[in-house]
Amino acid sequence: MDTINLLLQGFAVALTPVNLLAVFLGAFIGTVIGVLPGLGPTATIALLLPITIGMEMVTALIVMAGIYYGAMYGGSITSILVNIPGEAASVVTCIDGYQMARKGRAGPALGMSAIGSFIGGTVSVVAVMLISPFLAETALKFGAPEMFALLFFAFVCIGGLTGKSRVQGLLMACVGLLLGTVGTDEIQGVDRFVFGTLYLQDGIGLVPLAMGLFGLGEILYNIEKRQSVGEVLATPKGLMPTLKDWKDSAWPMVRGSVLGFGIGIIPGGMPAIASLVSYAVEKKVSKHPEEFGQGAIEGVAGPETANNAATAGGFVPLLTLGIPTNSVLALILASMMMHGVTPGPLMLIKWADVFWGVIASMYIGNIVCLILNLPLIGLFVRMLKVPYSILSPLIIMFILLGSYAVAGNVNDLVATLFFGVIGYLMKRFNIEAAPLILAFVLGPMLENNLSKALIMSRTGDPMFFFSRPISATLISLALLVLFFPLLKWSWRLLSGGHKAQKIA
Amino acid sequence: MNVERFLGLTSVAIATPVAIAAWRFGVGSPQSPGAGFWPLAIALVMLGLGFILVLRPHPNEASAEDEGASRWEKLGISLASLLFYVALLEALGYLLTTALTLLVQLRWVEDRSWRSSVLIAVLVAVLSLLLFKVLLKVSLPLGVLPLPAGW
Repeated sequence: MDTINLLLQGFAVALTPVNLLAVFLGAFIGTVIGVLPGLGPTATIALLLPITIGMEMVTALIVMAGIYYGAMYGGSITSILVNIPGEAASVVTCIDGYQMARKGRAGPALGMSAIGSFIGGTVSVVAVMLISPFLAETALKFGAPEMFALLFFAFVCIGGLTGKSRVQGLLMACVGLLLGTVGTDEIQGVDRFVFGTLYLQDGIGLVPLAMGLFGLGEILYNIEKRQSVGEVLATPKGLMPTLKDWKDSAWPMVRGSVLGFGIGIIPGGMPAIASLVSYAVEKKVSKHPEEFGQGAIEGVAGPETANNAATAGGFVPLLTLGIPTNSVLALILASMMMHGVTPGPLMLIKWADVFWGVIASMYIGNIVCLILNLPLIGLFVRMLKVPYSILSPLIIMFILLGSYAVAGNVNDLVATLFFGVIGYLMKRFNIEAAPLILAFVLGPMLENNLSKALIMSRTGDPMFFFSRPISATLISLALLVLFFPLLKWSWRLLSGGHKAQKIA
Repeated sequence: MNVERFLGLTSVAIATPVAIAAWRFGVGSPQSPGAGFWPLAIALVMLGLGFILVLRPHPNEASAEDEGASRWEKLGISLASLLFYVALLEALGYLLTTALTLLVQLRWVEDRSWRSSVLIAVLVAVLSLLLFKVLLKVSLPLGVLPLPAGW
């Protein structure tokens, strides 16, 4: 079959010494930052952006992908042993995982979590492999209006799917869009918002923005609110789950894979959400829901499978449509564009070796992660004992060095510092930064396609988007997502006022 | 004042001059959008969202959860050292600036002993210089310290 052939070519790319080193490095770094609370895949990939610029596209992708799913594996270790999530996607694992550890069952919890992650990761890569060519072919028929509609839909979902307030999320997304307009306008050559400086003519760099907002901001927040890490339970000896554990976890893992992949594909589908949904589902379908919260292995196996499945799932829209569904993928997208590779329907044609190389390496990467997380787990447990008082200054220096190293420009450092303070303030006041960076990356594409579509329409009539079936559907969906809460709100306002009148 | 209200006001405060500036860039026409078209659209949406945040009713939030005392001093010292770094990197050179900044961080933000701080600061500064300059071939400012030619 054609796919098998292409996959084999992909392995040829993935199995070169450089790329093998890359996948190991990515998986290792990913697991490490997954284990360490406070540093997540977004911040880490932001930190490594300057380095990935110098690499080959495939290699850079392999490293970044490795970091991304590696973090999902590592996050559960801290959750289970210390009751602190190493990663947002591992929050749910704390609930039952830590309880299992307290009952002396840390080993099976860790083991099942690693195995579930492996199954979720591998199954979803298979799904990516099978679905992507089909999706890319469909997307080839997309013109500027369809692209705009799709991006608009993604934008609306992302702005709306943040934890707290939908309006806040959209607002942050708008800020990101605005930041994306800074610089010399490509089409007209007009300088927008450059405040007369030469530096801003090239626009705001993604590296200072990402490193500052996520990396520095996080560290500064941690400095302000330093708490002592909880007590680490000793490294468990036997990691193998019992037969009963396997039986109990089997269906949760199946459900987790499907759920995770499905959630990973849609814009805003973050692994964290996938793990939450999986937990809720497992609790609902369980024959003994009262065990959840006391150390039910289903509460570990399901979510851990789901979050890994979601990470691979996210690569489908990224690689076939060029749409990142969360902040990690947005950074990966930006890195690809810096390499001159535009993901999208043409990717499977123009850069097929990159695509299949990454897919093949994800299979390898999951195996590497499984090995790191089972026999080598002691290594990571020991890492939890490195004092944060050494790590924190080191990470800061790394951030500063990284921003400077991109272009040898002190202005980049200033920018990083500036965004670092903003990032800190956002964290302090619980404002989500993810929509900002997503919109920042998507913004130029949105504007580009919108302009092209409007010119295509000849009349500038917004109804033009509704005259084409695909863009009409997508825009309608987007508007629905956008205005549904508004309708709910006005309804509540009206009926509330009505009630008040009755009382008076 | 509530965080959301403040956010709303800030966005109105930012969106208004942006909208005006966008208008000045030239909005063009719907069938031929100018450079200001897109920023204007964004600014208008921001205005709308900002107003919603300011005007909508906010339930009385519990006062900010105190998950432990806020270490303002530490934050201040840390930021000051970073500003120092940015200001003096090119003048003093990578090695010196990095070592000094790390020292300040380790000793006064992280409260480590003098011995530990100096040791780590110097070690990391030297090792990172080697790593980035030699291995990754990144050019870093030399500055004040006398170093062998060819660096």
